[in-house]
Amino acid sequence: MKRLLAICAAVGLVAAACGVIPGTGSGLKIGLVTDIGQLEDKSFNEFSWKGVQDGAKAVGGTAQAIVTKDIADYKQNIQQFVDQKYDVIVTVGFLISTDTLNAAKANPSIQFFGVDQFIPDPIPANYQGLLFNEAQAGYLAGIVAGTITKSGKIGAVGGRSDVPPVVNYIKGYENGAKSVKSTVTVSINYVEDFNAPDKGEASAKTMIGQGVDVLFQVAGLTGAGVLRAACNAKVYGIGVDVDQYLSLPDSAACIITSAEKHLQNATRDGIKRFKDKGKQTGNFTNDATNDGVGASPIRNLNPVPAGLTDKLTQATNDMKSGKLKPIP
Amino acid sequence: MRRWRARLAPTWSKAQVPVYSIVLAFAVAAVVVIVSSAFTASGFDPLLPFAAYARLFAGAFGSGNGVANTLVAAAPLMFGGLAVGIGLKAGLFNIGVAGQFLVGAFAAAVTGAALAAAPTIVGMPLAMLAGGLAGAAYGFIPGYLKARTGAHEVVTTIMLNNAAALLLTWAVNDLVRAPGFSFPRTADIGQSALPILAGRNLHLGIAFAVAAVFVIRWILVRTTLGFEIRTVGANPSAARYAGMRPIFITALTMTISGLLAGLAGAIQMLGVIGFYAPGITASVGFDSIAVALLGRSDPIGILFAALLFGAFRAGAPLMQIETSVPIEVIDIIQALVILFLAADLIVRRVFRVRAPKIEIVELATVTGSWGAGTPPPGTAG
Repeated sequence: MKRLLAICAAVGLVAAACGVIPGTGSGLKIGLVTDIGQLEDKSFNEFSWKGVQDGAKAVGGTAQAIVTKDIADYKQNIQQFVDQKYDVIVTVGFLISTDTLNAAKANPSIQFFGVDQFIPDPIPANYQGLLFNEAQAGYLAGIVAGTITKSGKIGAVGGRSDVPPVVNYIKGYENGAKSVKSTVTVSINYVEDFNAPDKGEASAKTMIGQGVDVLFQVAGLTGAGVLRAACNAKVYGIGVDVDQYLSLPDSAACIITSAEKHLQNATRDGIKRFKDKGKQTGNFTNDATNDGVGASPIRNLNPVPAGLTDKLTQATNDMKSGKLKPIP
Repeated sequence: MRRWRARLAPTWSKAQVPVYSIVLAFAVAAVVVIVSSAFTASGFDPLLPFAAYARLFAGAFGSGNGVANTLVAAAPLMFGGLAVGIGLKAGLFNIGVAGQFLVGAFAAAVTGAALAAAPTIVGMPLAMLAGGLAGAAYGFIPGYLKARTGAHEVVTTIMLNNAAALLLTWAVNDLVRAPGFSFPRTADIGQSALPILAGRNLHLGIAFAVAAVFVIRWILVRTTLGFEIRTVGANPSAARYAGMRPIFITALTMTISGLLAGLAGAIQMLGVIGFYAPGITASVGFDSIAVALLGRSDPIGILFAALLFGAFRAGAPLMQIETSVPIEVIDIIQALVILFLAADLIVRRVFRVRAPKIEIVELATVTGSWGAGTPPPGTAG
C-alpha cells in the first residue's frame, strides 16, 4: 500500500510538471480576486465572477479566479495575477481597495477594476471603480413597496446616515413609493451600525408595531435582523445590493424583491470597455442606462399585483431616457 | 551513518504519525478532487490532483517570491502555534488565539499609526510591544478566571473571541476611524511597518517568529518555569505536592499564550495588512490550533507545521489560476490531517507502523476538555 502510494505520487508529479501546464490562449487574460469568503456566495463574489466570465467570452479572452480567505492574502493574490502577466485584474469589495490602488500604481500596464470601490483622487489611469446608482435601484424597490403595502405605511432601516450610498438608496425608495401612492408614509431609521442584527431587529419591530408592513433594509449585517423581524411578523421585506432571496435563504420566505446592483453586467461591461476603448479610469457609475441596477425578480407574491411589472418597466425606461430622476 | 540513524530514530518515532497523516490527507483529498472534477466544465480528469499539487508546490517553493510568501504566511502561524502549544503543555486548550490575535493586531495598528512618522527603530518595536501586551492582557483574563474560579478556558476563550471582534469593530467605527477612507479603518502605519529584508515582502517578523520558536523551546526544556508548566500539565495534584503553584502557573501560561498570539497579530499587522478594519478575519487563530496539534506542541514541530500551512496559503493562488481547483481543497487537506492525527489507528493500519503507541498528551487535553474531568459549571459536559 505504502509503496503503491509513493509510486503513484511520483509518477503523477512528473506527469504534471512536464506537460499539463494549461495553455493560455491568444486573447486577454482576466483575473478576479474575490472578497473574503467563497466564490459561490450568491452575492458580490459570485456575480462579479459571472460577469468576468461573460466579459472574457465576449472579448475572446480567458478568465480565472483566486478566492481570498484572509485579509492578509489580498496583496499576494493580486500579485499572483501580476506575475502571471494578466492583462486585466478585477477585485471585489472595499476592503481590498487599498491593495488594489497600490498594485495599480506599481503596474501601469495592467488594467484594474474595483467592484464597489470608490477611488479618491488622484486616480491612476489604469484603475476604475465600478459603482452603482443606488437611488435608481431604491426607487424601483420603492415602487414595489408602495404597490404592495396595505396599511399605507412602509419603512426603511439604514446602516449609517453618513454613508452616501445608503442615504441614496433610501431617498430613492421614499420617492419611488410616493410615485405610486402619494399618501404613503415612510418611516426611516438609521441605526448607525452595519454589524448589529439585534439593533436592526429592534428597529424593525418598532416600525412594525406602528403599522409598517413593508421593510427595506440597507444596513449590511444589521439588515439581516430587519428581514428576520419582517419574517417573524409576517410582513414584507425588501433586500439590497444583490438578490437576497437567494443570498439570505433564512429570510427568503418574506423577501419580495431586492434593490439590486447588477454586478454581473458591471464587470462584463468594464472588460468590454477596456477591450474597445483602452485604459479605463475614474469612478464609473452603472445605472439604468446600461442596465447596471434594477429590482430583483418579484418573489412570494401570488398573483403579482396587476400593473406592477409595467410600472417597473416604465420607471426603468424613464430613468434610461433621463426623464425620471429618482432624487430630483 | 549508523550513529545518525540512532540519533534520528527517536525524532522519527515522534514524527512518523504526523508525517503519514499528511501523506494520507493528500491522498484522500486527491480522490475528492478526481471525483468532483467529473462535475466541472472541464470534465473527469484523473490526473487533476497531481497537476493541482504540482502547482501548489510550485507556487509555494518554485520561486524566490513563492518561498517568501510561504515564510510570510508561516510566521504568524509559528507564533499562534506556539501560543496553543505552550497552553497544551500546561493542560490548557486556548481556543482564544483568534481573539488575542485581533486584540494584538488592533493595538499594533493603533500604536503604529500614532508613531507613523517616528523612525522605524522607535515605532516598530513599540507597536510590536503594544500588540504583545494587549494579547497578554487578553490571555490573562481566561487564565485568571480558570485559576481563581475554575471557569473552563475553552468556554471563556470562545466567548472572548466574539467579544474581541465586536469590541474592536466598535472601536474602529467610533474611536479611531481614520478620515479620508470610504470605510472604517485605522490610519496608515507609515514608518512603523516591519522592514522588508528581501524581495517584495520578506519582512523582519519572520526572524522574530523563528527566534520565538527557540526561546519557547529553551523555556520549556531548560528552565524551571518550563518544568513547572509541563508538570502542571501532566498532573496538577502531583505538581502541588511537589511545592509548585498550579494556580499561578495556569494564569501565567495563559498570559504567555496570549502574548504569543498578540505578537502573531502584531507581525501580521505591521508586516502584511497595515491597517485594522472590521471584517478582518483571523483564520490564523484557528489554523494555529491545527499547527500546534500537527507539531505535537513541540516548538520545532510547530516550526515545520507552520511552514507546511504557510506553503498551503502561498501555493493556493497558483493552483487556482492554473488548474481551477478551488482553494477549499486546502481546507479539506488541513482538516484531514487533523482527523488522521486524532484517529491515528487508521494511519498505523495503512502504513503498518509498528512503533509503540505514544500517548499524545495534547490530544488528551483537547478531547478531555469536554469528556473527562469535572465539566465547568453551567454547561452540559
